[in-house]
This record gives sequence, C-alpha cells and structure tokens, in this order.
Amino acid sequence: MEAKGYSFMRQTSSIVLRSVYKEYRRDEFVIPVLADLDLEVAEGEYLALMGPSGSGKTTLLNLVAGLDRSTKGEVTVHGQVLGHLSEAEVTRWRANNVGFIFQTYNLIPVLTAFENVELPLLLTSLSRRKRREHVMTALRIVGLEKREHHYPRQLSGGQEQRVAIARAIVTDPYLLVADEPTGDLDRTTAGEILDLLELLNREFQKTIVMVTHDPLAAARASRVLHLDKGRLVDEVIQETRVSIAS
Amino acid sequence: MKYFTYIFRNARRNPIRTFLTIASTGICLFLMMILLAFFDMREDATKANRVFNRIITMNATGFAGMVPIGRVPEVSRMEGVLAASPYGWFGGKYHDETMPFAQFSVDADSVFKILNEFRVPDSQLADFKANKDGAAIGRRLASDRGLKIGDPLPLKGDLYPVDMDLTVRAIYDGPSNRNLRMCLFHYEYLDEALKKVTMSSAYGGSLATDSARTSGNAGMIFIKCKNADVMPSLSKKIDDLYRNSEFPTRTQTEEAFGKMFSDMLGDLQNAIYGIGAAVVVSLLFVAGNAMAIAMRERTSEVAILKAIGFSKGRVLFLVLTEAILVAGLGGALGSLGCKALCDVVDVAKYSAGFLPVFYVPWRIALLGLVVSLFVGFASGVVPALLAANSSVINGLRKVV
Ligand SMILES: Nc1ncnc2c1ncn2[C@@H]1O[C@H](COP(=O)(O)OP(=O)(O)OP(=O)(O)O)[C@@H](O)[C@H]1O
Ligand SMILES: [Mg+2]
Repeated sequence: MEAKGYSFMRQTSSIVLRSVYKEYRRDEFVIPVLADLDLEVAEGEYLALMGPSGSGKTTLLNLVAGLDRSTKGEVTVHGQVLGHLSEAEVTRWRANNVGFIFQTYNLIPVLTAFENVELPLLLTSLSRRKRREHVMTALRIVGLEKREHHYPRQLSGGQEQRVAIARAIVTDPYLLVADEPTGDLDRTTAGEILDLLELLNREFQKTIVMVTHDPLAAARASRVLHLDKGRLVDEVIQETRVSIAS
Repeated sequence: MKYFTYIFRNARRNPIRTFLTIASTGICLFLMMILLAFFDMREDATKANRVFNRIITMNATGFAGMVPIGRVPEVSRMEGVLAASPYGWFGGKYHDETMPFAQFSVDADSVFKILNEFRVPDSQLADFKANKDGAAIGRRLASDRGLKIGDPLPLKGDLYPVDMDLTVRAIYDGPSNRNLRMCLFHYEYLDEALKKVTMSSAYGGSLATDSARTSGNAGMIFIKCKNADVMPSLSKKIDDLYRNSEFPTRTQTEEAFGKMFSDMLGDLQNAIYGIGAAVVVSLLFVAGNAMAIAMRERTSEVAILKAIGFSKGRVLFLVLTEAILVAGLGGALGSLGCKALCDVVDVAKYSAGFLPVFYVPWRIALLGLVVSLFVGFASGVVPALLAANSSVINGLRKVV
C-alpha cells in the first residue's frame, strides 16, 4: 500500500448524488428516509455526517458504499453509476473499492486478527505469500503487527477497531466508510482511531465518509454535513483540523 | 482451499451442537450399514450357490414336513445325479446356547461329494465316516469354540427329543465366502436315537403324531447334479414321482432355496428400508435445524462478509460446505467405522449359519458416505440459501 502521487486537493468529484430519494417499505407503510438529496464529495475528502438518530445517516452511507440502492436519483462513485450495476457486479465493486468500518467492529470471532484482515483478500487471486505481505502491511499501519495471532476476544475494543480498519484498507480501496467508528470507545482510544483515519486520509489519500455523533470526531474531518429528517441542513467547511490526540 | 480455515472454525464454533450432529449422523449410518450389508450378504450368499449345480428336495408343505429316508437312494440312482444325502436341520443347543451354529444330519459317505467346495484331509474324512458319533465341523466353528479333532461336541436336542453326543472327527475348510461354521453328523446316529424314543413313547406320547420329528425322516435331500442343464428336469422328475404319495415334495435349486429364506424376510426388508428412509429424513431435519440455528447466530457476520464483497454464491458455498463437512464426518465415522469394525469382529458368528460371512462391502460403505454427504447437502441447502439471500443492511442493523 503506497501513497499515490495525488496532486494536492484535486477538485474532481469522487462521490456525486443527484436528486437522491430513498424510502423503505414495510408492508403498506412507506417510510421516506432521504428526500431529494444532492451531494458532491471530492476525491481525497474526509466528510463527516452528523445528525439526530433516525435522520438517515446510515442510510446515506449505505447508498454511497453500494450496500443499498436509492429509490430515485443517481449515485455515482469514482465515475461508476451504482444503479447501473447488477447485484453481483455491485458486490464485486464493493470488494474492490470500499472499505467498511463499523461501530461494533464486526470482526469474525472465530478468526485471528490476521485471518480477519485476510478475509477480503481471499476474494482476489493473490498468492498466499502476497496475501501475507498485504495483511502484514495493513496490520503495521494500524500498529498491530504483533497481534496477528490474537482472536478478537483477546483484544481490547480499540485494538479490535484497528483490526477492522486494517481489514478495511487491506485491499487498498478507494473509499472508506465508517459508521460511528468511535461510538463504543473511550475518549483516548477514540482519539487514536481518529488519528488513524486522519493518517489514512492524509498519507494514503483515502476518501472517507464518516458518520458520527461526536463533535470532536467530526472536527477531524475536512467537511461536516448535518442531516435532519432526510435533508442536508447546513454545511460546515473546516478550515483547519483540530487534533484531540496531540 | 483458502476458505477451509474459516469453514472449519465455524464448524467447531459450537462443539456440542456439532458433536451431536456428527454423532447422530454417525449412529444412523452405522445402523444403515449393518442393515444394507446384511441384505447384501444374504443375496450374495444365495447367488453364490448357483455355481454348484445342487438342488434340494423338501416336503411340499414346508420344512416341518416329512421326506422319507428311503427316497435318498431312489433319488441318487436317477440319471444326472452325482450324489444325494439326507439333510436334516437339528437345531440343538450347545452348552445351553440356543441356535449356536448350523447342525445337519447327513450321509457321511456322500456329503462332501455334494459340498465339494469343502476340503477335508483324507484321514479325517475316513475317521468321520467310520465313527457313527463323528462330526465334521467347519474351520471357523473350530476356531471360534477352540475345538480340535477328538474333542467332544455335545448337542442338546431342542426341536428333537434326543441329544447328540458327538466327537469332532474332521475339520473341513473351504472358500471364505462359504459357511465354515457348520456341524455335520451321521444321519444314522440321529435316527437310531429317535427310534428308541419313538418306541418308548409309543404308548401315547405326543411324538408319535409328529411324523417329522421321528425316525425315518431325511429332513431334506441335498442333491448334486451332473450339470446345470439337468437341474430343471430332474427337479420336475422328483416332484412328479412323489406327487401322489403321502408326502409330496418340492424340489428347487440351492439358490432358489436360499432365496426362499430371503423372501420370508422380504416384507421385513421393505419395512426396514422404509424405517431407514424415515430415519434419514428425520436426520436431515435434525442436521438442518442445527445448521439453521448456527446461521441465525451468524446473521451479522454473513452481512459483513457480503458487505466486504463475498458474493451470494460464495456465501452459499461456505454454508453448504460446512454442513457437508459436519454430516460427512459423521457419515465417514459411521459407515467406514462400521466397515472397519465388521472387518475386525466377525458378526457372522452370531447369525447361526444364516450368513456364512459378514462384512460391509466397499460399495455399501461408500454408498453410506454418499448418503451422509447428501444429508449434509440437503440439511444445509435451506440455511445456505437463506444466508446467501439475506439482506446486508438488515444484517448490519442487527449488530447494534
Ligand atoms: N430496512 C429498513 N426498513 C424500514 N425502515 C428503515 C430501514 N432502515 C432504516 N429505516 C428507517 O430509516 C430511518 C433512518 O434510519 P438510519 O439508520 O439511516 O438513521 P441514522 O441517522 O443512521 O440513525 P442512528 O443515528 O440512530 O444510527 C429511520 O427512521 C429508520 O427507522
Ligand atoms: Mg446509523
């Protein structure tokens, strides 16, 4: 995993949402979640999504990550219109382009740290040796190369989340999505995770979309958007980033 | 197989549940092997008799009926007959063991001409013929019971009101698929004993009316023919000859005779197959339920796999392989274990001559393995399809 030679702040749009409308149907009930949403995220941007519970943050994240489809409107990521892909294609697309980080880490309990990180690589044609190299690189980036043989239950919450981040970056995806990645962590550990995300954004030019309830976490992003009842309400562009850890 | 670690760890995740699935599949397959092998052996043993050109004459009404001994010389003089011998099932106890092994009263002079697949050392055969209380026993019977030449072999009458105090005079050997656990003894020895009893009970004993259990009954006539071609006409000739006598006969090939026993089991056999099928189906539900519970516990994990790019097909494959692995392991233990056990322990010993040998043929062991793989597949297919088609976003929502 090497930092790509990006020119600083290239203004191409990496994620484009055009008039996106999303509703859920449960029997005869129609629950509108996102209403007529327009959004552009630049390549290499670090976007934080905030908003009250139920405002549609996770839903938006799922659309951007290709986990769910919009009811109306178009979602384009890195030039790919996701609505044009079949289910199998969008699955393959996710494997190549998106890394996932969740609030509850979601590691596979029966696999070691190494094996958890290796999981996405099993889908590639990489040799065992190559896979090992990539996994160890990812574990080194998150500072857990010494814990490769540990099972999730033998790790602290912060360490588990770092393994999850290693898993998210091991395929060198283009986009990282994080749904409340620090929601289950104490302040100090959360700070470490946020440092790591910042590193991935700065050094490795990963485009990041992060949902968070924590203003201090949002403060690390380059832009903060607020969702309320399925609409973007205002936009805050961070001029400078504050770091809690330092 | 790069997914093997994951599949294997998943299978081991809930060791008790997995163990129970393996154990129930294993036990089921074990029993299935015994049943299938039993019927298979029976059929094989029956078919194997085809090559010996032998026919058997019995009373038309069944085993309990009389075949007068005078008919043996009559039959042996017929055109196409090489040798004929009385052949009476004695069914005595050995040291209070009921039906310990097959015992037949025979004509010592001709019986090994008829059962010519057996070999007896000349001197032993001569001893057997010369001694009225002599017995010729199979090699396996001798080794089971530790019997040597000269040892007494007392048989207590069970069907018959007389005891046979025999002495081992000959030990015969032969191909391993033949019955090497028979005890053959002189017809005359039994008949003389029966004569005494008949006389003493002639004053009103019940035996006098039971013609088949009295002297002068050959039981059956075991006939060696010149070749296979003469067997049908010879059988007909014998039966025609006695049709209008007091004791009409029924003559059939040794193979058909053996099949008669199998046919008596016929209905039972079908019932057992039915029960076997029902057991496999219930096993399927047990294994399927275990797998379904396992998958429900892993809903969010499956969602993660799919989120990071595992296709439906791959999820299907992972779950199915796990189910097949568990059931297959049980099946392998049950079927191959049963085969191995039967190779070590000779079950035929306990069949009172019903089966000359008992083992689980590879064909049947492999069939068992295939059945268990099928059970694994069938039990895994519903949980696997559910997992493969489960919604990623709902699965992820369940986490919190
Ligand atoms: N699969 C679904 N079926 C029906 N309704 C759904 C479904 N998923 C989400 N919703 C509804 O959509 C709305 C937005 O949900 P979403 O999870 O996006 O909110 P959120 O902003 O992430 O909230 P939180 O901060 O609590 O995670 C909620 O009202 C929720 O009940
Ligand atoms: Mg949410």
